[in-house]
Parts: sequence; structure tokens; C-alpha cells
Amino acid sequence: MNNSLDIKAVETFLYEEAALLDRPDLDNWMKLFTEDGTYWMPAREDQLDALNHVSHMYDDRVMMEIRRRNFVHPRASSKDSPVRSSHLLGNIRHQGKTKQGDLRITCNFHVVMWYREEQRVYAGTCEHHLVSTADGFRIRHKRVDLINPEAPQKSLIIYL
Amino acid sequence: MYNRISTTEIDSLVEPARLHKRLYIDRDIFELEMERIWGQAWIFIGHESQVPNTGDYFTTNITHKVPVIMVRDKEDQVHVLHNRCAHKGAKLVENREGNVRGAFRCPYHGWSYKHDGTLIKIPNEAGYEGTGFDLNDACNNMQPLAQVESYRGFVFATLSSQAPDLKTWLGGAIDCIDNLCDRSPDGEVEVAGGVLRYEHECNWKFFLENLNDTMHPMVVHQSVVQAAKDYIDSLPESATRERSEAEIILPFGSSYENFEDSGITGFRYGHHYDGGKTSIHANYTVMPEYHSRMVASYGEEKAREIYSFNTHNTLFYPSLTIKTAVQNIRVVRPVAVDRFIVETWSFRLKGAPDEMLQRTLLYSRLVNSSAGMVGPDDLEVYRRAQEGLESSGSDWVEYHRQLGRDQQLEDRVVGGGTSDLDMRTQYKAWKEFMNGEIYR
Ligand code: FES
Ligand SMILES: [Fe+2]
Repeated sequence: MNNSLDIKAVETFLYEEAALLDRPDLDNWMKLFTEDGTYWMPAREDQLDALNHVSHMYDDRVMMEIRRRNFVHPRASSKDSPVRSSHLLGNIRHQGKTKQGDLRITCNFHVVMWYREEQRVYAGTCEHHLVSTADGFRIRHKRVDLINPEAPQKSLIIYL
Repeated sequence: MYNRISTTEIDSLVEPARLHKRLYIDRDIFELEMERIWGQAWIFIGHESQVPNTGDYFTTNITHKVPVIMVRDKEDQVHVLHNRCAHKGAKLVENREGNVRGAFRCPYHGWSYKHDGTLIKIPNEAGYEGTGFDLNDACNNMQPLAQVESYRGFVFATLSSQAPDLKTWLGGAIDCIDNLCDRSPDGEVEVAGGVLRYEHECNWKFFLENLNDTMHPMVVHQSVVQAAKDYIDSLPESATRERSEAEIILPFGSSYENFEDSGITGFRYGHHYDGGKTSIHANYTVMPEYHSRMVASYGEEKAREIYSFNTHNTLFYPSLTIKTAVQNIRVVRPVAVDRFIVETWSFRLKGAPDEMLQRTLLYSRLVNSSAGMVGPDDLEVYRRAQEGLESSGSDWVEYHRQLGRDQQLEDRVVGGGTSDLDMRTQYKAWKEFMNGEIYR
């Protein structure tokens, strides 16, 4: 454990990130990532590898930008229905450092999502690898593990 | 219970170029489809590589309800059995996959069965003495399906004893299974890299119809193609040259002319594919390391010939669709009139470098994932159709495209890539399954 870590500052950062996804404001959300930042939603429990095993999502900044452009495109019919989320984060913990020296933060999440006249629930754990910069934290990697990654999933048109 | 529907009534729902909306929204039709289509056709169960060792099993449903187990026995034989105890009917295996060491043991009263389904033991057996019950009577085994066969590792089963043998039933579309396997330098494929399960809140037939509906990609996927193209064009070439994503996404925006050129080929029993000479997967990079291994196995000419048979989607009606050029499959599992699951499985080409599997998995993730860039826009339009067809504005959907222009060859029908030949092929089979004429 790194005693000098201001866990409050980490929590504030995660809450702000979640608030951007709630709206959703993908433009500003993407800016929280480093240039080499990635977002990963594995398709099985304890998945080790994003390349040799399939995932629900695994985006770098280029794919995030393509997804963002598609998200606001007037001809993307799956985006005709509004989507709104409510993230609740808890059990936020500092888990030491990654090999690259980034902060490893884990938390639990519950997301209630409104989409296509239906309210649904996602739950699981998140892992953030955070870099401290002069402008505050940046995300090098965000991993989202659903509690039911192998279950049939409905269309998910937004990041959790 | 549901209402029976007469043969005349069924025949009246399928016209040469119009389908009645009841096909998609009527619960009684759905129940009848489960009995007469899913209960009579050869249904894809799984691939032998999913159960590599003795006692390995994989479970699924063969219709919306009937649970089955695929299992490998000591003699290396793969069986498909009803997942039901002969005693009082309890499902023997609950997990999707796993291994049973010696025997299946029922969790209720402990009857146990060999991997091939033979009853081995009943606890406190003395109670059956003199009752007329015969432990060795096959009716007390786990029941095998009416017919089970595999072709190059693809295991199919059918609840019908009338269905012709698997090879006959696959017909000329079998070339696509061969082509998928031949793309391996060793001539074999295996399931690898896990599964994606995607819940579809609509009728299962929308998915089948969409596979070779080549009039939709440039409309439904216009947004993602444009998003990808505009952004990638704005990046320095060095940042994007190596990206397979562009190779995968951009062809969804191919022109009507390109799709027309790819052609559609239809077969008996509802099978069909589009592409062959060309498809939206035709311009994928041939990775040099892969190519040299293929040449080592087959020689240059044969290797090129294997890649040049380039299909887009092949449907083995009604349960399996294969992308030979991508090396993944999607498996359809109906649940209710307005609900089904699509499972995407990816294949490793044995003997090929890891990059080939990685590209397959990238494709599955980008295109077929419920959180993908392509699938959600497809599902959205099926759902629009599901909802729109409740309208009393009309009772019919139409499929006239290039009607009368299909060309009948010996074992197949060929036509333009943007034609409704795929619709004509599958609804001919639909009607024959439903009115009982399919195997006559
Ligand atoms: S139901 Fe299986 S042993 Fe009784
Ligand atoms: Fe599509």
C-alpha cells in the first residue's frame, strides 16, 4: 500500500468519470484516457488475454473515436432511442501498482441503464490503471468485468 | 397449449413473393416451427473440439425447450443424448460444459449412466426385483437422439428418424464446411477463444433472412462505415496501415454492384450462401506466414484456390451460419416467438499462426458482439420489424427481388447477389417443413 496516495482524490476522479458516462458525454469521457489508453470488457471470468480470447469490447483510442462518431451519427438506428445510465461505485480500493508503475484501483459498480423503453441492470467490478499527470489522473486502462460475462447479453451501445 | 394450424392454412401464409406477418408474431406458428422445423431438421449441436477428452460434455437445447448433451466416451465416440434421467426425468447435467469422470449421476435418486448413456446402476436395486422392471432394457438408458452424425468435426443431431443422412442433407453447401477446414494448413479446425452470447428480442427468422440480405449493409451500417472511414482517413497513414479493423468494417459499406456480383446460391432444405467468387471478405490480407504454411501443405495453386472460394454467410437452415473467410460461426437458439439467442464461436485453423485466430476473434468482437459496432444496428432493425408487423396496416411482407430470374442448376439455384433468392430458398423449405412434405 502506498500511504501517500490520496484515495479521496482517486474516488473523486472515478465519480467524475462515471458521471460523464451517465449523461453520456463521450467527448469528455475519452479525454480522460492517455493516448495509449484502452477499455476492455472481457467475455469470461478471470480472462487473461484480450487477443487470444474473444471480448465484448476492447477499444483503443482509435476505436473509441469511431464508436463515439457512430454513437452520434444520425443514421445509426440503434442510437435513435436515448440511453441514460446511473452508475453507483463502491468498495473502491487501491491495489498497488501495475508493472508500468500506474496506480491499480478496483471498485464494484452497479449500473442501471435506460434504453429502448426498458430499465436494466449491470453489475460487476472495474479495474482502473491510473497515471498521475500535471492535470490530474489519466486512465491508461479500464477493465470492466461483468458478474455474468458468459450470459446472453442485450445490445450494449455505450461504455459501462 | 397452443392451437393447431391446418396445412391449408400454412400454405396460405407463404406466397411466391409474399409472407404473412403471422410467421413472425404468432405464438402458435412458433410452437409449430419448433415441432416441425427444429424437430425435423438436422440441428447443429457443437464441434467435436469442444469435447476433446473422455467424459467432456457440452449442453444445449435442440429446440426452444429440449435439452441435450454432447459427450465423448472412452472409445472416443461423440454422442448426443437427451439431457434427461430415465427415472423421473430430472436434467442430469446443468452446466454448459465440463467433464464427468466415470458416469453421469442423477442428482435426484442417484441413477448412474455411462458416457454413452447406458444405465449402470440404481441405488437399492432390490426394490425392483420381481416388478417387471428391466435394468437392461434400453428404454432405461439416457436416450440418444433419433440421428446423430458429424462432418469434419461439426456435430449435428435430429429428432427425426425420417431425415436423410447428414451429407445428403447438407447438399452442395457442404463445400463451405470443407472450405473452412481446408483453410487450415492441417485440414482441421478447432473451437477456440470462447463464445459470445447475444440475446435478440425478436423472431429468429429475421436473423436468418438478414444473413444474405445484401440490400441492407449500406443502409444499416452506413453510420459505422462512415465513422470509421472519415476518422481513419484523417489519421497519418502510419497510424492506421496495420489496422485490421478498417479491413473488417469498411466493406460493410460496399456498393449494390459489389453485392450483386457476389451472387447467391440456394440449395434444398433451405441452405444458401452468398459470395463464392467474391464477397465482402475477399480483400482480407493474406498473412505471409500463414500463406507459406498453406503452400507447404497444399502447394501454391491449391492454396490460392482455397482462398478464392470466398463466401460471406452460409446458412445451414435453420440453426448454423458459417463465415468461411472469417472462420467463425453463429448458432441460432430460439427461445420464444419474439426471442432467440445467437452464439458466436470462433475457430483456430490448426497449423496456422496465432495471428489468424486473433483476426477471427477481432472480427467476432467488432461485428458479432452485443457491444459490437455492427450487430446492434442489425438487431435494431429486426426489432423495428417485430414491432412494425403488429400493425394492422397490412398483413404481408414482400420478397419480389429478381423473381423469375433465378437459374435452376442440377442441385442448386443461382442468382444475383441482391436478389431475394435466399428468401425463396428458405421459405420453400419452411413451407415444406411446416406442411409435412419436406422428406416425402
Ligand atoms: S430422477 Fe434421476 S434418479 Fe430419480
Ligand atoms: Fe448487418
